[in-house]
Amino acid sequence: MSSRLRKYRNALMLGIFTLCTLLALIPLFGVLGYVVKNGISALNLEFFTSLPQPMGVAGGGMANAIVGTLILIAIAGVLGIPTGILAAIYLTEYDRVSWLSTLVRFTTDVLTGIPSIIIGIVVYTTLVMKTGNFSAFAGGVALAIIMVPLVIRSTEEMLKLVPQTIREAGYALGIPRWRTILRIVLPTAAKGILTGAMLAVARAAGETAPLLFTALGNQYWAHSLNEPIAALPLQIYQYATSPYKDWHRQAWAGSLVLIFLVIILSFVARLAFRNRKNF
Amino acid sequence: MINKKGKVLTGVIAGALVLALVGCGTTTPGAPKTPANEAAQAVTLTGAGSTFMQPLLTQQIADYSKQHPNITVNYQGVGSGAGIKQVSDNLINFGGTDAFMTDDQLAAAKGGKILQIPMTLGAEAISYNIPNAPNELKIAPTTLADIYLGKITNWNDSRIAADNPGVTLPNLKITVAHRSDGSGTTSIFTHFLSAISPEWDSKVGKGTSVNWPVGIGAKGNASVAGIVQQTPGTIGYVELAYALQNNLPHALIKNKDGKWVAPSLDSASAAAAAFQVPDDMRVNIVNAPGATAYPIAGFSWALIYQQQSDKAKGTALVNFLNWAIHDGQKLAPSMQYAPLPSNLVSREEAMLKSVTYQGQPLLK
Repeated sequence: MSSRLRKYRNALMLGIFTLCTLLALIPLFGVLGYVVKNGISALNLEFFTSLPQPMGVAGGGMANAIVGTLILIAIAGVLGIPTGILAAIYLTEYDRVSWLSTLVRFTTDVLTGIPSIIIGIVVYTTLVMKTGNFSAFAGGVALAIIMVPLVIRSTEEMLKLVPQTIREAGYALGIPRWRTILRIVLPTAAKGILTGAMLAVARAAGETAPLLFTALGNQYWAHSLNEPIAALPLQIYQYATSPYKDWHRQAWAGSLVLIFLVIILSFVARLAFRNRKNF
Repeated sequence: MINKKGKVLTGVIAGALVLALVGCGTTTPGAPKTPANEAAQAVTLTGAGSTFMQPLLTQQIADYSKQHPNITVNYQGVGSGAGIKQVSDNLINFGGTDAFMTDDQLAAAKGGKILQIPMTLGAEAISYNIPNAPNELKIAPTTLADIYLGKITNWNDSRIAADNPGVTLPNLKITVAHRSDGSGTTSIFTHFLSAISPEWDSKVGKGTSVNWPVGIGAKGNASVAGIVQQTPGTIGYVELAYALQNNLPHALIKNKDGKWVAPSLDSASAAAAAFQVPDDMRVNIVNAPGATAYPIAGFSWALIYQQQSDKAKGTALVNFLNWAIHDGQKLAPSMQYAPLPSNLVSREEAMLKSVTYQGQPLLK
C-alpha cells in the first residue's frame, strides 16, 4: 500500500468525521438559533411582569409561569438531588455488588427510560387523588421522581472515577471511612456530580407531560404549594397549539426564557462551587 | 465537604424560592389571612373542563377579580370529559362541560349531588381553510356527515358544489380535524350528526369521545382552530368565539326547517328557545326547529356540588357563579356567545341558593 493511498484514505476519513460533526451541530444550533430568533423579538418587560390575559386577548405575560417553574424545580431539587446523591454514595462506597445494589441499578436504568407521562399518572393516582387537589407539591414530586435516577447514575459514574488509591491514602492516614467519603471522595467528584445534578434539573425544568395532571396550571399566582401552579412548559404547550398569533409569540418568548433559566441556574451553581477554595 | 455542597445547593434553591415568594408577595395585594373577616380572606378556586366556554369564562374571571381582588379563579381548559372526571373525583371546586353529566356519571360522583348550572349558550362554527374560498360556504348536514365519515374526500366534490352555485372550489383533499380529548364540543357535534344521519348514528354514534372514521385529532378547541388555521384543506368544528377571534371562515348550515343559517348569538338563542329546559337543566338543543335556529348549538354548564365542604371556598364559588350568570352575561354578546335567557337565569339563581355548607345556604 503506497503512502499516497494512505494519505488519501486518511483525508477521506477525516473529512467524513468533520462532516458528521457539522451535521450533529446543525440541529443543535438550528434549534437554539430558531428559538433565539423568534424569542428575542417577542420578549418585553410585560412578558416578565404580567399575568396571562384572558383567552384570545393580546398582551400579558408569563410572570406566574416563570416563578412557577422555579418553584417546581426547587421542590424537585430539594427532594430529588440529595436522595440521588446519597443513594449513589451507597452504591459506590458501601455496596457495589450485592443483590440490593444490582436491583437499585437495574431499577434506576428502567426508571430513566420510563416515559415521564407515566410518572405523572402515578403521582396523580397516588398523591393528587389522595390529597384531593392538584398542587405545586404534586408537580414537584413528579419532577423529583424523574430527577432521582438521573442523579443516581451520573453521581455514581463520577464517584467511580475517583481513584481507589485516594481512598486508600485516606485510610492510611487513619481517617475514618465516612470522613474519607465526605472530605476526600465527594470533593474530588464534586464538579461532575454538580453537572449531573444540573442536567437533571434541566430535564425536569422542560417536562410538560407529568405536570398536566399534577401541577395542572394556573393563569394566576399560586398562593401556596397546595394549589395548582403555572409552569413554563405547560404555558408554552397551551400557547403554541392555540390559534392566537400573540400566544405564538409568547410561546417563543417562553421557550427562550426556559432555555436561559436552565443556563443561568447551571452557571450560578458552577460559580458557587468555583469560589470554594478546596474544590 | 458534603455539607458545604449541600449549603451551596440549598443556597441556590433558597434563592429561587425567595425570588418566587417576592414575586408572589408583590402581586397579591390585600391577601392577609384574617379568618374573622371572611370577605377579605384570599380564596383560590380551581375549575377545569370545557374549552367551549373558556374564552368567555376567562374574560368573566378577569373582570370579576378586578372587583374582588381577594378571589382568584383558576380555570384550566382540559376538556369537558376531564372536567367531569375531576369534579366527580372531587379534585377541583367546579367543572365545566358542554355535555351534561349522565345519570351514571352523577351516581359515580364522590362528593354527593352535583348541580349543573348553565353558564352560557354558544354556536359551534364549522370552520374551514380553503385558499381563495369565500366565507359562509354552504354545507348541507348530510354532506357534513359524509365528510366526517370519510365518504367525501375532496373540496371539489359535486355535492359541495351543488349547494354553492357560482363558487369554484379547488381540487384539494379535505383534511378532517376533530378533538382528541373528551370534549363537550364533540358531544354537541356528534349529537347533531347522529340526529341527521342514521349512518353516522349507527357507525360512530355520539358522546364526548367517539371512534372517528377519519381525520386528525387535537386537544382543545384552540388546537382544532390552530390546525384549521395552519393547514389548507382542513375542516373543523369549534366554538364560534374561536372562529371569530382568529378570522376563520365558517359555513352556513341547513337547519331542520331547510333554511341556511350562520352561527351567531341570535341563531344559538333561537335554537335554545325551541326547547323547554327541564329542572335538572340537562337539555340538548341540536337540530332545533325554527327558521332562524342554528342546528349545532349547545349550553355549557358549570358542575358544582350541592353540599360544599369548605365554607370560604363554597361562598366564593356560588357568589362568582351568581355574578357570572347575571352581570357576567353582559360580556357574552361581544364575544358572540348568547346571553342566558332571563327566565333561565332566575331558575339557576334558585339552584345556587340551594347550595349549602353544613346545612346553611351560602348565597344570600
